[in-house]
This record gives sequence, structure tokens and C-alpha cells, in this order.
Amino acid sequence: MERMKALALLAMVGPMDGSEPSESALEAARAGDLAAFDLLMRQHERLVLVTALRLLGVLEDAQDASQEVFLRLYKNLHKVETSGNLSGWLYRVTVNVCHDAQRKRQVSAPVEDAAELPSLTADPQRTAVEAERRRALEMSLRMLSEKERAVLVLRDLEGLSTEEVARALGTTEATVRSQVSKARVKVRDFLERYFRRRT
Amino acid sequence: MNCSDWEERVALHAGGDLPPAEAADVERHLRECAGCQVLASGLKQSLALLKEAHDEPLPPAHFSAVRARVVAELEQKGRPLWRRAWGYGLAAAVVALLVMLALQPGRTPERRPPVVAARRLSQPLSNVRGSESTSEPRTLESGTDPRHPPPHRRVARHVARPNVPATPDPEPLIVKLQTDDPNVVIYWIADRKRGE
Repeated sequence: MERMKALALLAMVGPMDGSEPSESALEAARAGDLAAFDLLMRQHERLVLVTALRLLGVLEDAQDASQEVFLRLYKNLHKVETSGNLSGWLYRVTVNVCHDAQRKRQVSAPVEDAAELPSLTADPQRTAVEAERRRALEMSLRMLSEKERAVLVLRDLEGLSTEEVARALGTTEATVRSQVSKARVKVRDFLERYFRRRT
Repeated sequence: MNCSDWEERVALHAGGDLPPAEAADVERHLRECAGCQVLASGLKQSLALLKEAHDEPLPPAHFSAVRARVVAELEQKGRPLWRRAWGYGLAAAVVALLVMLALQPGRTPERRPPVVAARRLSQPLSNVRGSESTSEPRTLESGTDPRHPPPHRRVARHVARPNVPATPDPEPLIVKLQTDDPNVVIYWIADRKRGE
């Protein structure tokens, strides 16, 4: 019986590829069906956790932020009126939650020390060169301002269009273009300086 | 126009953010400007590195850990609410029951000392019972305690003593308990021993 229910919910939610859920799945979740909400989370967990990880750089912090995002989603399911804007809503809330987390974290771990925090996926097999490169890339993101980092992550790493980024961040496309161009140049300058100094 | 004026457009072009007409302008400039070519190359390279570094999929355990924490918190938030409502309901029911019991007059025991009067039976118990059933219940005024007038008594105790002189075998003492309900009369027959 439980299995049948799970299969029915899976059919309602659709494939786990981040595509928008059906209205019936949202309705079930709104009605307090935790199983339906769990499946909504499965569908959007990559979006939320990976974005949070790219913004925060530390897995534990990203998981905390993801938890907060999904709790806010559960609380505000009635505000997500149509299934079509759920991803946009999640991106916006994820960015906001991560910004809050960064501000709190700056008290205990200054930005300049953030590069010393554990890398995304610590792998003992990784070569020293690759580990160094990863570290540099992480640091290059941390050199950006909050807004520049959010724009770069959403546009270049998440692959959203300029219009989608503007909608998610509540800003204009012109602002997004300005910020993303600055962010790209800063990252390139940082990496160039970093590797030139190392070699 | 120097190269710094091209920097933003070159950066946007590196990410494919320019409309075709502006992209064509940038490409024309890049063919003529070595410095901007280096910039464009560096931009594309750093973007490729960033994307590659972030393309690595996360282990599923990281996702399931978040889901488990969210579901646990939602269940935790939901449960106390339900339990609280249930607990409050139960507490209210208990309080209401106690209040009802306290206010119910029939349940309040009178603190007055019991009024006991005794009278020897002048006729057999069966006759007493019969006479009581046809006449008004007797309240033994002679035997009442003057401190407590009878109209407020909830239970009047009637004790009938026979009028005949005492015999060697004393008759049993019959105590009649009259309640507020005229249909309920309780007789208590006690054996009396000599000398009592």
C-alpha cells in the first residue's frame, strides 16, 4: 500500500531532474503530506544544495542552508502559486539564506580565512596539482562580492539565462550583465595572478 | 576607444551573453587587439575551469542527509503541536470534570453530625413498612438535634422503638434511613444485646 502511494506520488512529481512539479504534487504537499513534500525535495535537492555549496564553499554550511531553504519552502508552499515558478523561488531563497549564513559566518570565520576551510569534496586520491587548482578556484569565488558571486554562480555554473538570474535575484538584466562581467574579469585576474605566483 | 572600454563586452562575450550584433563587434575588435585576445582567452579558460570544478556530482548521501534533517524537523514541529492540543484537551476535560464534581450539590457531603434518634418498634417491621408507605414519612422531631433543624437534612434517620416493655430477648433495633427520594427508604436492623 505504501509502495503504491509512493509510486503515485512519484508519478505526480515527475522525473527527478529539477523540472517543475505538477500542481497535484504541490497540492498534496500543501495539504501536509510529508511524503509528497519529500518527493518535492528530491526533485529540487540538487538545485538547492549545489547552489548553496557553490555560494558557501563548505559542505556543512551548504547542508544547513539547504535545510533552511526546504523548511521555508514547506512554510511558504501556499505562496508558490504555480508549479512553474518553484525553481525561481528556490534559487531566490537559496541565495538569500546563503547570504545570511555568510554574514553570520564572517563573525567567526573571516573571508580571507575561508580558503583554509575544507574544500568541496576532499578526495585523498586527488593529485596535489588538482587540489591546488581547486583551492584556487574556490578562493577566486570568495574574492567576489556577495552579489557578484551569486550572479556568477547562477549564470555560469547553474546555467540560468540573464533574465532568470535577474528574476531570481530581484534585479534587472542590465545589472546582472554588469555584475557578471565584473565577476568574470575578477576571477580571471585572480587565477592568473595566483598561478603566475605559484609557477 | 581603448581596451578598458571593451573589457565588459569581452567578458560578456566570453559567457555568450551578447546579442549577435554586439558579439560581431567584439569579435571584430578581438581580431585587431592582442591585449583583448589574451583577456578573452583567460576569461574562457577560467570559466571552463570553474565549470569543470563544479561539475563533479555530489554523493547521494549528502542530499539524503538534508532531506532526513528536514523531515525530522517537520515531524518534530508537527508532533508537539498535536500533542499539545491533545494534552490541553485532556487537561481541560479533567478540570471540567473536577469542577462539575465540586459543584454538584448531591455530592457535597454535609459536615453536620448525623442526627440519630431511636424509637422502639410498636409493631412488626412489615407493619411499619406498610404504614410508612401510606402516610407521610415520619421525621422524629423528638429525636432531632436542636442544633440542626431537620428541613435541611439530606438524610433523616428514623429509629423506631417498640412501646412494649423490655423483654428478656430484646427486639432488634431498626433504623430507617430516609433519603430525599421518597421512593428510597433504607432500613437497618441491628441486633441489640442485653444491657445496651
